[in-house]
Amino acid sequence: MSTTTPRSEMVQFEFDGQQVLCRPGQSVAAALWAVRETVLRTTAEHQAPRGYFCGMGVCFDCLVTIDGRPNCQACLVPVAPGMVVTPQGAARAESGGGVS
Amino acid sequence: MSPDSPEPTPSDASRLVVIGAGPAGMATAITLAERGLSVTVVDQNPRPGGQIYRYPAVPSTKPRQPDRGGALREHLAEHSDRITVLSDHNVVGIYPERRLGLCGPEGFRILAADRLVLAPGAYEYVPPFPGWTLPGVMTPGAAQQLVKSQGVAPGRRVLLAGTGPFLLVVALALHEMGVQVVGIVDTLRRRDAFWKLPSLLADGKLLKQGLDYVAGVRKAGIPLMTGHIVTRAEGRGRLEQVVMAPCDADWVADHDRSRPIVADALCVGYGFVPRLGLAQLAGCELTPTNLPGGWIPVTDAWGQTSVPGVFTAGDGAGVAGAIVAELAGQLVGLGVASSCGAIEASEAERSAEPIRERLHQLSRFRRGLDELGSLRKGLSQLADESTVVCRCEEIRRAEVDEAISSGSTTLRSLKVATRLGMGPCQGRMCQPACARRLYDLGLGSLEEIGPPAFRPPLVPVTVGQLAGMDAPGGEPADAELVEDGWEADSAS
Repeated sequence: MSTTTPRSEMVQFEFDGQQVLCRPGQSVAAALWAVRETVLRTTAEHQAPRGYFCGMGVCFDCLVTIDGRPNCQACLVPVAPGMVVTPQGAARAESGGGVS
Repeated sequence: MSPDSPEPTPSDASRLVVIGAGPAGMATAITLAERGLSVTVVDQNPRPGGQIYRYPAVPSTKPRQPDRGGALREHLAEHSDRITVLSDHNVVGIYPERRLGLCGPEGFRILAADRLVLAPGAYEYVPPFPGWTLPGVMTPGAAQQLVKSQGVAPGRRVLLAGTGPFLLVVALALHEMGVQVVGIVDTLRRRDAFWKLPSLLADGKLLKQGLDYVAGVRKAGIPLMTGHIVTRAEGRGRLEQVVMAPCDADWVADHDRSRPIVADALCVGYGFVPRLGLAQLAGCELTPTNLPGGWIPVTDAWGQTSVPGVFTAGDGAGVAGAIVAELAGQLVGLGVASSCGAIEASEAERSAEPIRERLHQLSRFRRGLDELGSLRKGLSQLADESTVVCRCEEIRRAEVDEAISSGSTTLRSLKVATRLGMGPCQGRMCQPACARRLYDLGLGSLEEIGPPAFRPPLVPVTVGQLAGMDAPGGEPADAELVEDGWEADSAS
């Protein structure tokens, strides 16, 4: 699928130390999916990769850390310019944190 | 309960609150506004529309066709003097006397309602199978959101699997956006659908729409593999291959005849689960069903639940799709308007008549679809011993089996024994399938196994959000709520 957004209008953010460009308004999960970044977190118990699953905020599988805040649902949060996103390592240990 | 019931206080100044801005919630609010009533709509998304009419996050590359969702959004906006939409707000709790705990951009607040309409919608049912947690496996709805709202392809080779007409809808949406759909795997066999033709013929328009989808899929050259079931997803770190097998009328897979199909996205769903959390927190009585989720709220002819003043409409009240949801919303709107004295009971009856007639017509069609989509035992046999059945707490089937053989045969006792359903999703993903498996193993009736239990906060929130922030018009959060964090959730 081609994008029609000119490069100058693209939004830049960081994921796992890499710079990613996306279209304005895209969710963190969609922006990462577009560049084939499909592993959003690794589970605490089995160190298993997890990604985008329900797309509507029900399953809590796409949890990432955004600007230092753990347990953000990547499928719900729109990308903001300069956002720093890191894949989450141990969801259960961090579960006291907020979910937007 | 009749709409002219004196309970609770009838007044033009009644505080009316609708939760959910999908077709049912929007239709309820519009109906109330048309009768001169003011209403607040609480919705978790940035824009009204719900899941089915989700407002695109990025502008579409295609010219937008006029759709029902857009029309409802316009109606909602036309009544902006009476309808207040609180977008980006989650309901985290429902407390006595219809007081809602809301979490929004400004923090936590309490909103009290004289009449409350629950229109929470539904989410997709995916029973566990080997490999279902691999990135690349997602629900058809998730794939639809990616392609239609976000402008992103779910994969280079996409396979759809499960059952029901929604698979066809998503397949065509993907195809139209230039995504390669390598097939649709449906558990239904052609001959099963044939026997349901009489009830499906009850609504010619909808049947034609369904047949048009099938024709569209054929024309697109997408292989439709009926009578098959996906048994496994495989790959290192992400999905690379899907295994499918023929299945019988009970959807039991014939593993000896299984074969692989290369795909980097698998969109799998076996129907929709009504979202019960709000109804449960409000104390509404539930009744079991043979459809995904297993439970729906009990309602009267006006959509009023067992709790006076609490109504429900749409897929959250029993999955029947967007058209029915909108009509049900109109009906509930009339019921609410009548119950708070804004219109005469006779007028409510008169206005409801054509809506009820249409709903009755649609219900025959729906019954046909429901019979086709009612759950079969094969779905409970897909997971193997090492399959993670609770995605949040990473509980394998073997652990659940061990607890079952030690006598845990209810959702509640399994939760205590294994932590199944104690993660952030509160069991939304695992509990319906787990209850169904207990049922298919003959370990109890749905009543004995029990419905999933939800506790506030319905979505995880920080203690800071609950404690400190006090938006204008709100009351301070109760201390009881603050301590009731979801990690401290007990199994009651």
